Amino acid sequence: MTEYQLLIQRYDPEHDNEPRLQRFTVPGDHTTSMLDALLYVQQKLDVTLGLRWSCRMAICGSCGVMVNGIPKLGCKTFLRDYHSEIVIEPLAHFAVEKDLIVDMTQFLAHLSAIKPYLINDYSGTAMHKQTPAQLAKYQQFSNCINCGLCYSACPQFGLNPEFLGPAAITLAQRYNLDSRDNGKAARMPQLNGKNGAWGCTFVGFCSDVCPKQLDPAAAVNQAKVESAKDFIISMFKP
Amino acid sequence: MSSPKRSDEPVWWSLFSAGGVCFAVFLPGLILALGILWPLGLLNSSVLQYAQLLSLLQSGYGLTGLAFTGAVICLPLFHAAHRIHHGLHDLKCGYSSATKLLCYGTAGLLSVLALYFTLSLLLKY
Amino acid sequence: MNTPVSARKPYQSKLSRSWWLKHNYYRLYMLREATVLPLLFFIGCLLYGLYCLTQDAAHWQSFQTFMQQGWVIALNLLAFAASLFHAKTFFALFPRVMPLAPAWLMISGQWLATLLVAAGVLLLFGGWL
Ligand code: SF4
Ligand code: FES
Repeated sequence: MTEYQLLIQRYDPEHDNEPRLQRFTVPGDHTTSMLDALLYVQQKLDVTLGLRWSCRMAICGSCGVMVNGIPKLGCKTFLRDYHSEIVIEPLAHFAVEKDLIVDMTQFLAHLSAIKPYLINDYSGTAMHKQTPAQLAKYQQFSNCINCGLCYSACPQFGLNPEFLGPAAITLAQRYNLDSRDNGKAARMPQLNGKNGAWGCTFVGFCSDVCPKQLDPAAAVNQAKVESAKDFIISMFKP
Repeated sequence: MSSPKRSDEPVWWSLFSAGGVCFAVFLPGLILALGILWPLGLLNSSVLQYAQLLSLLQSGYGLTGLAFTGAVICLPLFHAAHRIHHGLHDLKCGYSSATKLLCYGTAGLLSVLALYFTLSLLLKY
Repeated sequence: MNTPVSARKPYQSKLSRSWWLKHNYYRLYMLREATVLPLLFFIGCLLYGLYCLTQDAAHWQSFQTFMQQGWVIALNLLAFAASLFHAKTFFALFPRVMPLAPAWLMISGQWLATLLVAAGVLLLFGGWL
């Protein structure tokens, strides 16, 4: 067991006007995740520490925090990879509700704005058929766990919260590329706006921090190509 | 939800992308030759003397000359204008439709100037 | 029934102008964006040279003298480095925006193009063509 120094950002809306850092010492070995350490703090040192988590296996997407300034899933990040002090803060660019808990309302609104579901006029009961090649077109973009890490990595979202952001635009691409879907025309208006794909300047950090390797930056920029095509087509339409 | 207004960014982004390709493919060689080796006297040929340069241009200018100006001056100018315009947003430095006009306007004016020089060279000889 | 008073008081931090200094990734991004500044200088040189060319031999001579000044060469060295850094980043982004072929193939193909153009320009201006 090694001792680790955690500096955790605390914010109590009932008493604080702004966040502050609080130091905790936690034991850990090579299997201790950042989430384990935070839960140790909550269970053994300070029961008032607020944080979100559920699956502990990088699938629910709820345990995102900033570790030394970089968005990470707490359950997929390990103390063994850190030395000296570890600073843990809530996800950047979101409003902090309490301690490490942020308000994801805007993120969820952006996700639903691009209609993230199959749109078609199919009403039969027979199964949809899809070839492996058709699946491969969008499969990579379909692995999102809605953790929001990419939004914390994106300065354009930080500068402009109206920007739809990496995950939402990736999700739009995911459905637009699905052979079972006919909803592209309904999604393009969102992507075509200045807060759609055009809000991105290809900083690219979102792809670095994505725990599921979706490469959201690539998806957003492929959406720019789609939007540019849509722009040209619109010029020839009355 | 009402749909947002269509952005005119496709126009600027296309120019930016084309300019980015030119910047990456044509400019390194050109800067190396004209900006570094020639001034240092390491490109010791007569090609870059006035008379020779003109005869070179006379032999193969025309549309090639316009394409050259477009590829090494005009498109890179729009590339630069785009990055500066978005850089103003990144740095919170007065990003607005006025700075947009200023950035792309300057790129457009300088492009026209470059094309005018090229054309006048073409017509002169 | 009375509505309970909300205890919510979300804290929203604002991104400062210097956000890009906080992380190496962002610094490299800004460096990438800043490559256009020395590029603009070189384009200025080209415009000046083009103008001199439309005039006469004396003007062209003064353009050469201008280009031979130490600070101009220094800035053009910077522009050369910037063009290479830009090329490196731009070539890496291209296959992600338009995945037309395997990334390594697209990247090396683009470098090959840059190399060929450079060789062509040097051959031409060096008088070997
Ligand atoms: S794209 Fe990646 S980083 Fe962004 S929300 Fe989805 S899984 Fe998380
Ligand atoms: S706890 Fe579910 S992703 Fe970390």
